[in-house]
Formats: sequence, structure tokens, C-alpha cells
Amino acid sequence: MRLIKHLWPLFFALLLIYTFNRSWGVIPPLGKLFNPFVGFLQNAERNPDRGNGEVALEGLHGKVTVWYDDNAVPHIFAQNDDDLYFAQGYVIAKDRLWQMEFYTRVAAGRLTEVVGPGALEYDRYNRRIGMARTAAAIADRLKNDTVANRILEAYAAGVNAYIRQLSDKDLPVEYKLLNYKPEPWSSYKSILMLMNMRHTLNGGSNDSRITNVLAKYGPDVVAGLFPDYPAIESPIVPQGTPWAFSPVAIPAVPDTVTAPPDTGLFAFAVPEPHPEVGSNNWAVSGSKSATGLPILANDPHLQLTLPSIWYQMQLSSPNVNVYGVALPGTPAIIIGFNKDIAWGVTNTGSDVMDFYRVRFRDSTLNAYWHDGAWKPTIRYTESYRMKDGSQVLDTLYYTHQGPIVYHKKQSTNYAPNIPVGYAMRWVANETDGADVLTFYYLNRATNYEDYRKALTYFTAPAQNFVFSSNGGDIAIVSNGKLPLKWREQGKFLLDGTLAAHDWQGWIPREQNPGVKNPPRGFVSSANQFPADTTYPYYLDWRFAHSSRAIRINERLDAMVRATADSLRMLQNDNFNVDARRILPRLLVSLALDDSIRHSAEYDALERWNYRNDADAVGATIFESWLGDLLRGVWGDEFPASERLLYPSLDRTFELINHEPGAKWFDRVDTPDTVENIDDIICSSFKTAMAELRERFGEISARNWAWSNVKQTRIMHLVPSFTSFGRTNVMNGGGSGVVNATSGTHGPSWRMVVQLDTDWPVAYGLYPGGQSGNPGSKYYDNMIDRWAAGQLDTLLFMKHADEQSGRLLRRILLTPKDR
Amino acid sequence: MLYTLILLLGGVSSYFGPWWTIAPVCFVSCFFLPRKPVPAFWTSAFASATLWIGYSIYLHLGAQTDLTSRVAGIFTAGLPALADVPAIALVSIIAACVAGLIGGFSGLAGVKISQLTRPPRG
Repeated sequence: MRLIKHLWPLFFALLLIYTFNRSWGVIPPLGKLFNPFVGFLQNAERNPDRGNGEVALEGLHGKVTVWYDDNAVPHIFAQNDDDLYFAQGYVIAKDRLWQMEFYTRVAAGRLTEVVGPGALEYDRYNRRIGMARTAAAIADRLKNDTVANRILEAYAAGVNAYIRQLSDKDLPVEYKLLNYKPEPWSSYKSILMLMNMRHTLNGGSNDSRITNVLAKYGPDVVAGLFPDYPAIESPIVPQGTPWAFSPVAIPAVPDTVTAPPDTGLFAFAVPEPHPEVGSNNWAVSGSKSATGLPILANDPHLQLTLPSIWYQMQLSSPNVNVYGVALPGTPAIIIGFNKDIAWGVTNTGSDVMDFYRVRFRDSTLNAYWHDGAWKPTIRYTESYRMKDGSQVLDTLYYTHQGPIVYHKKQSTNYAPNIPVGYAMRWVANETDGADVLTFYYLNRATNYEDYRKALTYFTAPAQNFVFSSNGGDIAIVSNGKLPLKWREQGKFLLDGTLAAHDWQGWIPREQNPGVKNPPRGFVSSANQFPADTTYPYYLDWRFAHSSRAIRINERLDAMVRATADSLRMLQNDNFNVDARRILPRLLVSLALDDSIRHSAEYDALERWNYRNDADAVGATIFESWLGDLLRGVWGDEFPASERLLYPSLDRTFELINHEPGAKWFDRVDTPDTVENIDDIICSSFKTAMAELRERFGEISARNWAWSNVKQTRIMHLVPSFTSFGRTNVMNGGGSGVVNATSGTHGPSWRMVVQLDTDWPVAYGLYPGGQSGNPGSKYYDNMIDRWAAGQLDTLLFMKHADEQSGRLLRRILLTPKDR
Repeated sequence: MLYTLILLLGGVSSYFGPWWTIAPVCFVSCFFLPRKPVPAFWTSAFASATLWIGYSIYLHLGAQTDLTSRVAGIFTAGLPALADVPAIALVSIIAACVAGLIGGFSGLAGVKISQLTRPPRG
């Protein structure tokens, strides 16, 4: 008894330490987090710009100098390439370790380990589409590639050198909040980063929804409403450009082109493509520029996040000197320039994800029917570790096409022995090529030939690589593996039993769409059709809506004596091509309704100059209405509950402008009345205005300003860390205008490079900051300048000893004696 | 005396040790500087809380960016009632509770075990 009386405070103190040492559900470990000596306050930076330093690192061969400039951009000068990529890994990890590790956990389907069972379905999906398995296969194969393996290993060694230095108090704050620690890095993880990008750029499909349309309305309606080329387009390869090759034989269209599901109820949870993931790039030739040499611009549009997806840096060794943005977790510069050339990318977005209905022999799923024979499936067991250490197992089947993403068994009264699912063929699961080498060689390229050689290493997903050189060349190529398909192959869900439905090989790489030095004096892309209908191969029936491409090409056509600033202004162009195309016709219908014609909303819309500027009320009205208009036209025949794809904007606009009597304007859910186009336009307008009034009050210049309604926000990668994000970013733009800033997506890096025979002048910035630490002034310092459409002048140093007032501190990395 | 000792020892050792270093510091201090249990508890608790709050405020004021508000924001996201409380106050309260409880009971444990090993004379 006396013992208990004297010992209980000790046990209670130990219990308290245990309690505050661990996380409880979403509550982080309060002891670790709020102790100022090791907790989050250690991440609050006092003065990141002060102090030169020297760090000895095991694994370096020589000295590496890292200069940080006034935007916290590192300029790395190494004496050899191994040290260069080692230092790149080290330096990026210093600023972005948590982020890069987080991405690899997403791609590998391992989020449950750090956030718990809430992420299980998300993890399951990411595993079931095969990303981790493919990344492992690629990493394994690259071990035999001397160049790729060397840079990946050097990079991983650099990241690990940083991780080894970390004590608990130095951990990025997200680790402290989520209570876990970084794992060692590896080349496999760098590949996972690239897989993550493949998924972001090409991880969606409309195949099931358009197959539903085909099943409901038949081929004539599909041909009429879902044509294979838009009415108005401005393709990447200018119309009339001759194709300088003899095409290979194109497979014949088989009798059966689709295998729809037996029932519309099966779990087909593949996301739709995100129309806001797109990009712009272009280059003007010397004939159009004030300097007589090319100028190149690029702005990839992605989800806007903090930390940003990009990281600016300069990489220099005796073999290379390049500046641009890297993907945290991946070696080399992805978009950038060197002394002689500049390059950028946009997503091509062709159809490289197809689904095959699989016929299994029996419920064991061990065999499937293909090309007249039973073939064995490959079976994998995926195990998911929860945050508390428990495990969940899941079985995944592959056919030769790829993984069967979801298989849902039929209900018991419906052929129960033959479960039906779809196998996915997806170019992201191709394991050949070495995307990282494309960037390695582009970083070192000096001319057009080097650029074309670098592109040959790239696999997926195809990107429109724009190029310019100080030799005067400009070019663009839709580069990557493009499957050789029969016309409309994969427009609908395919039949996995037919050999004719397999991908029939690849379009020969040198026959991918592309153009060099076209007579019009510029090249450009905005995710639109790479080529017009004269291109011999089928790529897809639908690409990004043409509005951005049309505007860019109009502006570039008209441009003379272009400067870097002309291109910067084009990146920020808010002109709404769709409004110009459709609004005059819409206003005619609106004017027929007296209550609308006399409204302030109508007045604002009529006076609008078609620009999605930050203060534009007309843009608010038009953009908010567009969705209701589409629902008004299509919502009755293509109800969301039946998972039917809407016809495209282009097709809808054509219908409104040129086929006002089309039967689609009559609502099928009102059998007693016949609506016409005017009814649909007016009623959808009223609905949209009522919604706007409800959300933002009566129309006023302030409340209905486009920036206030659009509400661009840049949030942290962990959705619940809302206070780590930035809301109310006030700017113009829109997903269909060149300045493609919507609420959540937008230009994730803007770059303009003016080449020169001596030394290039470049500008750039992204909506975030170099540091991934929310306790750093460099966490989000570029956002306001980005929103204002400004660009920073980039400091591209010639050598490590160059003097510049913008260089704030120097870190020397030296080899450590073992 | 005890208060100052915990503050000094705790400050130096927390700089190098794990987050719960304050516990052995209070324990050992109270073990060798015997007090009555109640004052030992409160002195340890206040000294530990002072240490954590003091260093927290020092770091907070010296920082160029208000990380305190960002982190506090995660905790107050669903609690609009706390939205107007300064973040550093919330952080200090949590730090004080954690440090105070652990320090207090560790100090108490030190006294109690010291009593066990050195039974009071007479």
C-alpha cells in the first residue's frame, strides 16, 4: 500500500509521456509537436538568407558550390556529373523532402501507412491501376542502363545524405503533424514520382460514358454529336503542312468495335479526364522577334498546390549548365533552357488508356478467353499497412492487356459464374524507355538534332515538346509512344476476347505529329488536336477544347517584333474565345425575354468585352451560366444518373449557332410542351443568375467580380491542413482562356526564354515558393507576383565565381573522409 | 531555488534531449531537493510550463513567418469560437498543459520516491 502511494505519480507521469508521445486518431502527438525544443516551432525560420556554410557529405567526390539567390533558388556548381545529381538530390530534399516522399506514397498506394484507413480506397485504386508495379519494373530495368542508373543513384544518395543528417527537430513540420519519419530514398522512388506525373496527365477516361451513349442512342447519334474532329480547330501542326513520310499499314476496323457492360451498374470508378489539366507552349522564330532570334514560352497547367509541384534551380558541371524547374524527387531539369536552347512541354492527351471486357472461364478468375484460347491471368496479392500496423489484403488480376482495375461479380440471379470486369491497357504501364534520359539529354542539347535525339528516350504520356535554339530553329513534336490504332479504336470500351482489339503496335516515332520552322514563323500547342484530319493515324476522337489554341495562334499570327514581354502578356491573356463565338447568338435569345432584357445581369453581359479579367462581371455571368446552359441542352437526354457523356463544347456551340431547330433543344422530360432554343437559353440563364444571387448577393461590381466568384485557391497537399494553403488569390483567367487559372488549377510555372548567341535572358515564376516549409518566407512568396501576371528575371550564372548582388549565401558541400 | 534549477537544467538538457526531457529533470531535481509533495508538484509544473512557453514565445517572435498561426489553424479549423484567440496564446496554453502535467507529476514522483528511499526521520 505504501509502495502504491509513493509510486503512483511515477506511473502517472510515464502514462502522460506515453499519451503525449503518440497520435490519437487525427490528433497529432501533442508532446512532440508543442515542445518548442523539437516541435513545430523549430520550423519557424528566423533568417533563411543569413550565413554561408560548409557541409561534409559522405559520397561526394569533389567540392560542390551551391549559391542561393534572393528567391532562394539554388545554383549548383559541381566538378562532375555524379556530384551534380548528388547535390541536386541533397538540395531539393533540404527544401521539399516531405512533399517528394508524399508523392511517392500516393503513387505507390501507401498513404494508409501515414494517414490511416481513410485513404484505403484511394490507395487501392492507385495500386490497382498498376503504378507501383510498373515503377518497380522500370527501376529494375534501368539498373542496366549505365547513364540513367548513374544519375538516379547519385540523386538518391544525395537525398539520403540529407535524410541521415536530420534530427527530430529538423524534420519538416508535416512529419511532426502526421507523426512519421522519412524513409530512405531510392531510384525506384524517383520513378514513382514520374509515375505520379503520368497519372496526373493521363489518368482519366471517358470510354465508359461514351459507350453508354452508344448503347442508348446508337451509332448515328454518336457520329452526329461526338464527331472525331471539331468544327473549329487550330491544330498544332499547321493545316496544309505536308507529311514527309510514308505511313505504315493502318489496321482495319473490325466488325465489332465495342463490348459494353451487361449492366450499367458495375463499379467503373475510373475518373474522368480533368479538362483543367492542360498547358500552353509556343516559340516564335527570329522573323517575328525583335532580337532576330527565337523566344520560347511555356506554362503547364496543373492543380495548384503548396508546396508547388515545381522547384527552380540551376545545375552546372563541366558537361552541362542548365536552368529551369525540376520535379521534386526526380533528377535533371524538366522544363528550362541552357546557353543554346530552350524547351517546354504540354500534354498531348491522345487516347492511351483503353478498357477491355474480360471473359473469365470461371469464378476463380484464373483464365480468360482471348483470340480463341483460354489464357492464364496473373494474380498478385496487394497488402496495405494501416497506420496502426494492421494489414488489409487485396487480390489483383492482370491479363496481357494490364490490370483488371475493378471486377464486380454479377448478382446471384445473373450468370454468377462469369464475373465481368475490364482490363486496362494504359501507356503509363509501359516499362520501356527512360523518360529521365530525355531530360538529361535536353539539359545538354545545343541544337535541333540533339533535341530530336533526346526525345527518342521518352515513353509516356506523350508530350508536345516545344523547342527553340540560338541557331534560329523552332520546332514542336508530339512526342512519346502512340499506339497504332484502327479508326476510333478505344473510343468505346473494347472486347478483350478479340485479338483485333489489342493495340496493334506503335506509330513509328519519327512519324509522330511535329513541325520544324513552319512558314508562319511560330509553333504552339495548347493540348488541342496535334494535327488535322490529313494525318494518317488515329490518335483520339477528342482533345482539349480549342479555345486557348485559337487565341494563341491568332495572337502569334498578328505579332511582329515580339519581345519576351509580348509573350508574357500572351501568357496572361484573358480573352474568352468561346464568348466571342457564342455570346452574340445567346444575347439574341435573351433579348426576347423582357424580364431578362431589362435586368442588370443582361446589361453587364451585353457590355462585357469578352475578357475574363479579375474585375469583369460579364465573365462571372458567362462562366457561371455555361454549365447551366449545357445542362439545359443535354441534361434531359444525357442525365448524370445514367453516366452519359455530354457532347463537347464545340459541338454544342455549333448546334446553337447553326442548328437552332435541332431536336435536342426540346426537353424530353416535358412531353406536353415543345421547347425551342430560346426557351433553353432563357431558362438556363435565369437558373444561373438565381444561383449567383444566392451565393454572392445582388449584382455589384465587387461581389460579382470574376476573381471574387472564381476564388482561386492554392491549398496544401494534405486537404485538412487548410491553414497551410492560400485562399482569395485575386486574379482573372479561366479554364478556357490562355491564362488558364480556374479555382483550383492554373499555370503552375510560367517561363519565357529569349535566346541569344551570347547568353540567354529568361523570365519565370510559379505560384508558390522554393521552400516547402510553411514556416519559411519562401513558402508562398511568389504567389502575389504570379497572380499579378509578373515574371521574375531568372539569374542564369555563367560560372560559380560570377558576382551578382542577388546572390545571398553560399553553401559548400565537401567530400567527407570515411 | 527548485524553480530556477528546473528552468536551467531543463533548458540545457531539452536542447539536446528528446521532447520529454523535462520529466527526468523535474524528477531528479525534486528527488535531491526534497519539498512537500504539493509545492513540489506546483513548482515543477510552473517551471516546466515557463520553460516551454518562454521558448515558444521567443521562437515565435523571432520568426519571419507566422508558422504559429498556420499550425494553430489546423487545430481550430472546425472551431470558429477559437478563431479570434491569438495563435500563440493557444499554442502556449497547450504547451503549458502538456509541460505542466508532465513536469508536475514527475516532480511529485521525485519527492514521493525520495520519501520512499529516505523515510522521514521522527
